Amino acid sequence: MRTRRPYSREQGTLTLLTFLFLTLAGPVANHAAEGFPKPRGLINDFANVISSQYEQKLVQLTSELLAKTGVPVVVVTMPDIGGSDYTDYANRLYEAWGIGKKGEDRGVLIFVALKERKMRIETGYGIEGLIPDGLAGEIRDQYIIPYLKQNQFGKGLLNGTLAIASIIAKDAGVSLTGQVPVKRPVKRRSGLSALAVLFLFLLVFFSMGRRGGLWPLLFLLAMGRGGGYGGVYSRGGFGGSFGSFGGGFGGFGGGLSGGGGAGGSF
Amino acid sequence: MTQGQKTAIIVVGVVLLVVLIPLLSLKATYNRLVGMDEAVKAAWAQVENQLQRRYDLIPNYVETVKGYAKHEKEVLLKVTEARSRVAGAGTISEKIAANNALSSALARLLVVVERYPELKANTNFIRLQDELAGTENRIAVERRRFNEAVRAYNTKLRSFPTNLIAGMFGFEKASFFQVPKERQEVPKVKF
Repeated sequence: MRTRRPYSREQGTLTLLTFLFLTLAGPVANHAAEGFPKPRGLINDFANVISSQYEQKLVQLTSELLAKTGVPVVVVTMPDIGGSDYTDYANRLYEAWGIGKKGEDRGVLIFVALKERKMRIETGYGIEGLIPDGLAGEIRDQYIIPYLKQNQFGKGLLNGTLAIASIIAKDAGVSLTGQVPVKRPVKRRSGLSALAVLFLFLLVFFSMGRRGGLWPLLFLLAMGRGGGYGGVYSRGGFGGSFGSFGGGFGGFGGGLSGGGGAGGSF
Repeated sequence: MTQGQKTAIIVVGVVLLVVLIPLLSLKATYNRLVGMDEAVKAAWAQVENQLQRRYDLIPNYVETVKGYAKHEKEVLLKVTEARSRVAGAGTISEKIAANNALSSALARLLVVVERYPELKANTNFIRLQDELAGTENRIAVERRRFNEAVRAYNTKLRSFPTNLIAGMFGFEKASFFQVPKERQEVPKVKF
């Protein structure tokens, strides 16, 4: 299924022939530059538009999701994609990084091109059924683009990531607690705050069913509280490194996307 | 060991080398061609999946548009006609041509739709529009991968000495999924 062009060794005297041939095949040649940046982790704010507060929350959320469901949700902001078609760029970036496991292709890329003012949710082959394009479009319209329009990148991306993460978690039958499972024991301050968080997430999940509900608002509200979501996160012992989920750079295993998802201008 | 035995061993060795090495290289080349030919076929199957997906999506889309844009009968009819021609296409090149025609008809419709703000506010329509845009994008992606597979295969086919072996076994050049110049772009849906 995956054919790259691996046979270019024996050109030698046939360079001319090959060249002629490639020229003939010109109309379908690849236009976009192949020089993609290397992934830094699940959250790749190359455009520097996400505040550290939001970035940390995004890292924690996506890491927990990856640890519990095996599905990487990768966020990428690019300052500039040199005017290439953003849908094509996002798809190639997805392929170049190999988001998700090869063959399973369960992964999501949330992509923002700052200068072009475009964004796209790109779903891997294995996520298409769970998040069809219509739903991806809905998430884009309701949770992401309104914030991006006001240059609130952190907020919009967190909102959208949470919407996507909730769908994936629900499907996998796990709940996101705001804590990345860690190997060393974590001391709990009190049972009460954990209960409060559980309650909050239950609320979030229930209100999610209603289209355009107020759950993102609730979520943001909860994050603002020191003892709520944010508080639990900071005790989780994640430490801001990618090592916490199984000792490595998880989430990139040769996954592929067939161009599903939704995108648009902001 | 006599002199005669030695000579016999050398002769047998040389013959083996002369026969075996080309045979092994022939086998490797042949198998590689088969593999690449299969890759092209698999990539085409992916393209067809997405074309079929679009084909299935259109009636629903057209119905939704009809409800709001009553004066656009002609554009809608063109889409429906182009769609039925896709169904009648048999060979790969016929399919490509029919689908390119359908793409053009759809692009016209997408432009027309812009004139109906009520339609554009309809949530059902928004979803369908996203599904259609997603499908167009998938077609573009699979078409690119198909063309890459074709290019790899064709390049191999025409390089020496593969071309001799390919000729012997009747491997044929695969054709690209070409899109007419004016229609290279995926129909852009504005939001």
